[in-house]
Amino acid sequence: MTKVVLAIDTSAGTAVSVLVDGQVASELLDTNSMQHAEQIGLQILKALEAADTKASEVTSVAVGIGPGPFTGLRVGIAAAKMFAEGASASIYGVGSLEAVAFAQPLETPTLVLSDARRSEVYFGLFLGKTPAGVPISLLGPGVRKLAELEAQLKASNQSYSTCLEPVSAASVGRLALARIAEGTAENSVIANYLRAPDASPSKGKKVSG
Amino acid sequence: MKHHFRLATLDDLDQILELEKLSFGKDAWPKATMKSELAAKHTYYLVALSEAEVIGYAGLSKVASASSADVQTIAVSGTHQRQGIGRELMQRLIDKARELGAKEIYLEVREDKSAPQKLYESLGFEKIDRRPNYYQPDGVAAIVMRMTISAESIKQPVVLGIETSCDETGIGIVRGNELLANVISSSMDQHARFGGVVPEIAARAHLEALEATLQQALTEAGVSMQEIDAVAVTNGPGLAGALMVGVGAAKALSVAIDKPIYAVNHLVAHVAVDILERGKLETPTVALLVSGGHTSLLLVRDLLSDVELLGETIDDAAGEAFDKIARVLGLSYPGGPEIDKVAKTGDPKAIRFPRGLTLPKDQEKHRYNFSFSGLKTAVARHVELAESKGEEISIPDVAASFREAVVDVLVTKAINACLDHNVPRLILGGGVVANARLREVAQSRCAEAGIELRIPALSLCTDNGAMIASLAAQKIIAGQPPSKLDFGVYSTLPI
Repeated sequence: MTKVVLAIDTSAGTAVSVLVDGQVASELLDTNSMQHAEQIGLQILKALEAADTKASEVTSVAVGIGPGPFTGLRVGIAAAKMFAEGASASIYGVGSLEAVAFAQPLETPTLVLSDARRSEVYFGLFLGKTPAGVPISLLGPGVRKLAELEAQLKASNQSYSTCLEPVSAASVGRLALARIAEGTAENSVIANYLRAPDASPSKGKKVSG
Repeated sequence: MKHHFRLATLDDLDQILELEKLSFGKDAWPKATMKSELAAKHTYYLVALSEAEVIGYAGLSKVASASSADVQTIAVSGTHQRQGIGRELMQRLIDKARELGAKEIYLEVREDKSAPQKLYESLGFEKIDRRPNYYQPDGVAAIVMRMTISAESIKQPVVLGIETSCDETGIGIVRGNELLANVISSSMDQHARFGGVVPEIAARAHLEALEATLQQALTEAGVSMQEIDAVAVTNGPGLAGALMVGVGAAKALSVAIDKPIYAVNHLVAHVAVDILERGKLETPTVALLVSGGHTSLLLVRDLLSDVELLGETIDDAAGEAFDKIARVLGLSYPGGPEIDKVAKTGDPKAIRFPRGLTLPKDQEKHRYNFSFSGLKTAVARHVELAESKGEEISIPDVAASFREAVVDVLVTKAINACLDHNVPRLILGGGVVANARLREVAQSRCAEAGIELRIPALSLCTDNGAMIASLAAQKIIAGQPPSKLDFGVYSTLPI
């Protein structure tokens, strides 16, 4: 039976890809860091059409679980979950930074960064891959001010090259397949926000002051 | 320029006649003809308005016993053409014809006018006949056009509705006018220590609740994914981040099962819920929607084509006021049920708290608007003042008096809306309907005023997916086209 993977990532832009038997059949990336809710349906539809695949033929859904700005990140995960329900497909979550690392050689330490807003970055430091091709993590994923992160890496004499590539949905799909192959795929899809919600408990009752 | 639509009344006659003369010149209908058209029982006339100015109108005729309907007339003022107003008017007439059970719609159009012919063709009309010398004195031929309404659109569609506008993840399933499932997963407990809904927490909870809520709804309804005919989702008003979870989910589901999607207005859906209990919505009706996020008065003349927002809160929602006052009184969240509980033993007349926007000076601009911030401050001051003097306050009395002030304003304004617009019924919706005193006062005052009161079951009053599915089902039954896949969310979506 043909294995069809629909891969989605909205940790930055809106990225959708279809993989047929491990080969990338279509790949779309809208780098706009807004408009995820507007774009997601059409992007999925277009990716399926470009791959000449019907929704009902999708056997697995792979989704980037972040880290990424919350509002957009959630749109992709919500879409992936419901698509899997609708198409009776299995679902897998993979780290979005790990998916970026997957497409890099990782022969030397590679620091993958993405915009976390509020003058911070999401980061993950990777070196080498497992036999199946899964990136090996040295540090992260985390969220910090870039200067602080750089100071920490310098203090520990860590050499690295920086990677600012956007997340490709095709990499999300291929990483999920690699993880399935080595038996480390994650079925429970939980968004990796890395930050608590901005809310503080009620300060008590003063209302009029 | 923004425009809106509503049913035409005889008060519009003069403006319609003026536009009729400008549009049709020598062919224009005389006043008596137009008046009897507007007044007739078998006709359905709409006006398009820019502020109070009539900028277009259209009429349909459908005799109850006939299987066909006729488009009687349509006109759009010259300065407002090419804005899609004619198309919208036609679409609404088609929807109405379908709702009235017409199998075919006929119209005549001047042969020398190609723009309207193209519009009608794009809507599904085809040319079936030509009548020479039909329009006199010009001697222009009429082209007769017909649209066939497919039987398919009249059946009872199975619709799955998703609601995530606030702190309730709701998924409901209906078959036409029938409720099949209504599953609600609330994140209320997670907001308790913050004393109000935290948008980010609500959005996170929606994402986590989606799958289980969907599966439970399908099980409860006893339908498989293949039996779903359409997906519906709230796209506003509400919390943007929370709405986006539902919209992303609904769009992907729609693509996955290859079924159309309908974006639905949350407030109008609160009214559509009545169909699930009564099989139909009696119109016209006034709707009072009261929750932690909304306090709105709607005038519903037609669920799909004529819903008017009469007024809403200009500051806090009523439910929010309950939450804040509960905090002031040291009660827990959510405040509504807690205040209800302690108010039972209190005297509602112990303290006369202010009724927002009820003074004579407010009647012109804010007759149907609400304001609870002044009341909130008054209660807080009352408590703080007593404390600073070292006096004991009676929490039951304060709670009962506060609740009385809120309920009094809500019910008074809703009944005013009914009486002012000659509408003999009122429907309640929103989570605050759970408040016992609100139901009690609404019941007694509606009875006094001869107004029929509808209070849907509590599980249908609070935010839920069934109401979203219900409104979409009505759109489908009326033949309305689905939404395009790229619609957005609007935290302040207008009606």
